[in-house]
Amino acid sequence: MPAGRARPEAVLVTTSAAPLIIETRGLTKRFGSRTAVADVDLTVPAGCAFGFLGHNGAGKTTVIRMLTGLTQPDSGTIRIGGRPLPGHHQEVLARVGAIIEEPRFHHHLTGRENLRVIAAVRDPQARRRIEPALERVGLAGRAGDRVGGYSQGMRQRLGIARCLLADPGLIILDEPMNGLDPGGILELRRLIADLVAEGRTVFISSHLIDEIEKTCHAAAVIDRGRLIAQGPIAALLGDGGRSLEDWFLALTARIGAPS
Amino acid sequence: MSRAVTGPMITADILKLRRHRATMAAAAALSVGVTALYLAVVLGRHHGQLPGVRTLGDGTSLMGLYFGSFAATLIGAEAGTIDLTAGVFRDLAATGRPRTALFLTRIPAAIAVALAFTLTGFALTIGAALAFHGSAPAPGPGLIAASALWVVLATAVVTALAVGVGSLTGSRAVTLTAIIGWQTVASGMLYLATFLGAARDLVLVFAVSRFQPGPAIGTRANPGSSNALNTLKLPMPAIVAIVVILGWLIIPAVAGAWRTRNRDA
Repeated sequence: MPAGRARPEAVLVTTSAAPLIIETRGLTKRFGSRTAVADVDLTVPAGCAFGFLGHNGAGKTTVIRMLTGLTQPDSGTIRIGGRPLPGHHQEVLARVGAIIEEPRFHHHLTGRENLRVIAAVRDPQARRRIEPALERVGLAGRAGDRVGGYSQGMRQRLGIARCLLADPGLIILDEPMNGLDPGGILELRRLIADLVAEGRTVFISSHLIDEIEKTCHAAAVIDRGRLIAQGPIAALLGDGGRSLEDWFLALTARIGAPS
Repeated sequence: MSRAVTGPMITADILKLRRHRATMAAAAALSVGVTALYLAVVLGRHHGQLPGVRTLGDGTSLMGLYFGSFAATLIGAEAGTIDLTAGVFRDLAATGRPRTALFLTRIPAAIAVALAFTLTGFALTIGAALAFHGSAPAPGPGLIAASALWVVLATAVVTALAVGVGSLTGSRAVTLTAIIGWQTVASGMLYLATFLGAARDLVLVFAVSRFQPGPAIGTRANPGSSNALNTLKLPMPAIVAIVVILGWLIIPAVAGAWRTRNRDA
């Protein structure tokens, strides 16, 4: 189904009374004649781990790029922490940490130097957060090595350390499990749980549904640019005893099927 | 968060550049290496003595017009493109810091790094001109100071130009080819095209050379040419040279800032 057509089967469950950290209304982005994101009303409650699910090319990264101010929506509004993004761009993004697509670094710099580069662009306190952030992601012992020699998993962890420099209220992670071994995934799961326990919101975009089910409290599903479900995971699954993966596959197949 | 460029941002950009070993090695070879080679050749030709004033003039041109200028272009091009090629630009943009500030940071950082090389090469020339002038007159402090200031001006202008063009194109190779091609090959040909008269004043390297210590070639009414090319100084009014230099600084900087603001990160 092309983006833009109505989808009456969309599952929207709103049960959380928490304030919203992300709220979009009618968010739309087109690339030429192709509509990548269509009329997305996304609501993410503060202080939880929130999964953003979708097949490859569904529009997840485009939504994240709009949330982080990297690309402007063609229409619709974004509020983060209650403030509109275009109007309060600097104040809003100053407290947002994000890994967008794969984490990228200056390979000729060390891990610590890469963090210094970002800390310099952030607020003056960010530099003091470098060592605690490195400790937290388990990279303190390798922070003096050039990033060119890091494994994919180490780069993911350094990317999370880079997010922490903002002392973020909202952390956006785009496919954070990519390249991590099982031990790394377990560590990341624990780290996300710790961050949420501190009152931060972790917004995780992934196509690894099993991980979202283990990590997140609530989720939204985007399919071919349209938001087709969102709410607490328990409420989305209902009483059927299905896994999130089975529910997701059934939902996207049903929504995508020709009527 | 401040909208402005801050000291730590400039320091961070300097760090990115000075840790780039290949660029630093190339810049050192082009500035200090070439100067050392030139001095060794001249010393050999003159049996251990250097014509002091002439050596200073040649060393000044080497840094301000030729090899030092290439080093400055290399560093400026690197500064203009390094975040983009590393894929880090989007992470910088996602901090909320205005992209114009991200662009403006690159200029002083690149100039600081480029000056470290061209002034070192120039200092080498001064040392040799003073130490080995023999019976020839040594360059005076006034000429040395004026030459040093001119090297600073020439380095800063070409570095800022390279940062602007690099930020505009996003390609180090395109930036290097365009600027070195224009500044040396094309401008060298234009220098010899005396029939163009005062129209040549619009060429950046001639405007910068207007302030190089030493006499101009020809007169404004009858602009001459030189096959030596150790100076590209034409007789033009200082105000014209200043306006031309500002134009060459402002237009690429505005274009580079505009592209940085609107680039898909």
